[in-house]
Amino acid sequence: MQLLAQVSSETDLYVAQNIFFAVIAGTMIYAAFRVVTTANVVHAALWLVVVLAGVAVQFLFLGAEFVAVTQVLVYIGAVIVLFLFGVMLTRASMGDDETVAGEKRAMAAIVGVLLFAVMAVALVDSFEDTRVDIDGPQGVVEVSDAIFSQYIVPFEAVSVLLLAALIGAIVVARKD
Amino acid sequence: MLALLAQEVDFVRPAIDWHAVAPELTLLAFGALVTVMDIVWLERGRRLTSSVASIALLVTMIPIVTLALDGEDRVMFGGAFVVDNYALVMKAMFLVAGYVVVLLSTNYVAEGDYWESEYYGLLLSSILGMVLMASARDLITVFVALELLSIPAYMLATWRKRDLKSNEAGLKYYLMGVFASAIMLYGMSLLYGGAGSTLLADINEAVSVDGSPSAIVVVGVIFVIIGFAFKVSAFPFHTWAPDTYEGAPTPVTAFLSVASKAAGFVALLNLLFVGFFGRDDVYEPLIWILAAASMTVGNLVALRQTNLVRMLAYSGVAQAGYMLAPLAVASDVGDAALTATVTYLLVYAAMNLGAFAIVLAVARKTRSAEIDSFKGLFGYAPGLTIAMSVFLFSLAGIPPLGGWWAKFRVMEAVIEAESASGVVLGVFVAVNSVIALYYYARIGLGMWAEDAPNGDTTPIRVPASLVSALAITAALTIAFGVYPPLVSEFDVTLLAGGLGG
Amino acid sequence: MLLNQFLLLSAVLFCLGVYGVLARKNGMLVLMSVELILNAVNINLVAFGAFRADVGGSVFALFTIAVAAAEVGIGLAIVLLMYRNRRSIDLTQADLLKG
Repeated sequence: MQLLAQVSSETDLYVAQNIFFAVIAGTMIYAAFRVVTTANVVHAALWLVVVLAGVAVQFLFLGAEFVAVTQVLVYIGAVIVLFLFGVMLTRASMGDDETVAGEKRAMAAIVGVLLFAVMAVALVDSFEDTRVDIDGPQGVVEVSDAIFSQYIVPFEAVSVLLLAALIGAIVVARKD
Repeated sequence: MLALLAQEVDFVRPAIDWHAVAPELTLLAFGALVTVMDIVWLERGRRLTSSVASIALLVTMIPIVTLALDGEDRVMFGGAFVVDNYALVMKAMFLVAGYVVVLLSTNYVAEGDYWESEYYGLLLSSILGMVLMASARDLITVFVALELLSIPAYMLATWRKRDLKSNEAGLKYYLMGVFASAIMLYGMSLLYGGAGSTLLADINEAVSVDGSPSAIVVVGVIFVIIGFAFKVSAFPFHTWAPDTYEGAPTPVTAFLSVASKAAGFVALLNLLFVGFFGRDDVYEPLIWILAAASMTVGNLVALRQTNLVRMLAYSGVAQAGYMLAPLAVASDVGDAALTATVTYLLVYAAMNLGAFAIVLAVARKTRSAEIDSFKGLFGYAPGLTIAMSVFLFSLAGIPPLGGWWAKFRVMEAVIEAESASGVVLGVFVAVNSVIALYYYARIGLGMWAEDAPNGDTTPIRVPASLVSALAITAALTIAFGVYPPLVSEFDVTLLAGGLGG
Repeated sequence: MLLNQFLLLSAVLFCLGVYGVLARKNGMLVLMSVELILNAVNINLVAFGAFRADVGGSVFALFTIAVAAAEVGIGLAIVLLMYRNRRSIDLTQADLLKG
């Protein structure tokens, strides 16, 4: 994937990348749409996998290798498994989850569409056709140097957070 | 492998000012101690955890005092972590509030057999997040501190595991909380995009310049403020608060309504005054609407509550409105707005914790938080009645109690702006104070003048920890009002230190 | 490549996530919608990081991923507790508290 980023910085046309991007982005949007509309909880979790994998590919496009790998490991490896465990342990109907009232859906859809309209106008207004030059991948070295110097305080705080979440989750979830 | 390692010798060890991070490290060490004690000494250790937790909070005050005596502003990581007077005042407030919450929890948690050591461990880690938040001047640090203080709180709200109401309280709080932080994060990502740096000071520099990518900054600021509106339970993002407050264990409710709300405000103040102070065209109208709507709706709904905890939740929504009000004129009055909000936060912490202490004490006998169960309280618990009256009148803003002084500072700030919007907001504050007086006074009247339900007048036995909590909060509530320099003294140092990295 | 193609993709995911949170009533499905929003945030952060040639975006994205994992973990714990006591994770049935 290093290759991918290098090629994109050397050529001006980016035809291959743009086609590839369009395919991935289209798949992601369709999958995300299914995540929020499908009536089946297990299907929703599986569609979410497609979105998350697509996000990892986007990170590779942007030259962020380490984030892409973490995305695959943590999201697809851990978060989705947690979701599936949740579905199984709560014996949520493996079949269809009865649908919500149409009125609430229509409201939510209006909010979503309006929000997108605002976002799209704001983004186009701000960046028009600004190009993003990816001069090679952002290495693990730069990321780790930043984490262990500039961002050492939040890094330590996250470790406390994970421990607290672990202890709390055990207490809350265990039978007693 | 070795060659690769050798190649990277240019890593520069960050310069760490250990004195500046001493409060966080002390809390962290005690939090670890609380967790380990339970594992090593089992039952014997568990009985000590509440004492260790309260000692932890008192010991953490020591580095805060030494830092305050030192008086020097400490800046680390290029401005990402700042210890100035503002940060120290807020840290001290979180520690004192945390100490009072531990006092409130001691009997409640021990008698209910609610996983004591884990309870205090989570409480300490949440307070650690708040203490860190006071110093955070960087998007990533603000975000991580916010999650560190919220995630333990989600679980503490469900702590009465067999109670369906507590489960529901936790689930609602959790879902609203993660949604709000996701919205806030999206806003933060846009601000980062507008500036190309996570440092709040850099963001302010970038977004204040004309010609910077303006539209996304506007959207980013709006999303960030909406995210924090959830945290501080401002209308219309307050819907979780009454349900969560009612269902959660009462000491946790006190913690959420005071410390968690204050932490949301501290984060908002950091972002607003350091991160995008120059964009007053965006945040002022938005905060104006949030403030006016929160106080009006909060007070009107509080009028018809029959449960005291729910009433305090809605009154908390209204109080959030008062605290937001000075920020709606922040660009005109600058530091005066900051001072007014900080003063209100300090006073609110004292009086609201006190009110919850009374709810806990009375519920020990009546097992209820319904307003009717407070009737005739004077007949069998005169001490509690007098203390409750102090807290209620302070919340209503009657002189010479602390709440009056806090409201006065808010009014002063919005009038000082000398703009139509400021004056209108001042009218909102005044009218709402009158509405609020009605429902606070109704409880007071019931306590003093009416008869106890069922004629049950057996006295309440209040445990020593609750008495100390009441003494601390009542003393602070009265002291803030009778001797305002106690808070204005902070103000002066605050102004001298100022915000900013 | 254009910066906006990434940002618009992220905006679509964000809006779908917001729709999901508002329209869904199953706790697990709401949580999945929140994950969509968080992923939209991460695409934004990494894209801006590449655009501004700043490493902060990647670092921020890593922190978001770590925190999201913790959030899902405790979310699952709360949902399990709820299910054990009530045999349902339907949010419209969680209505003991109101007023």
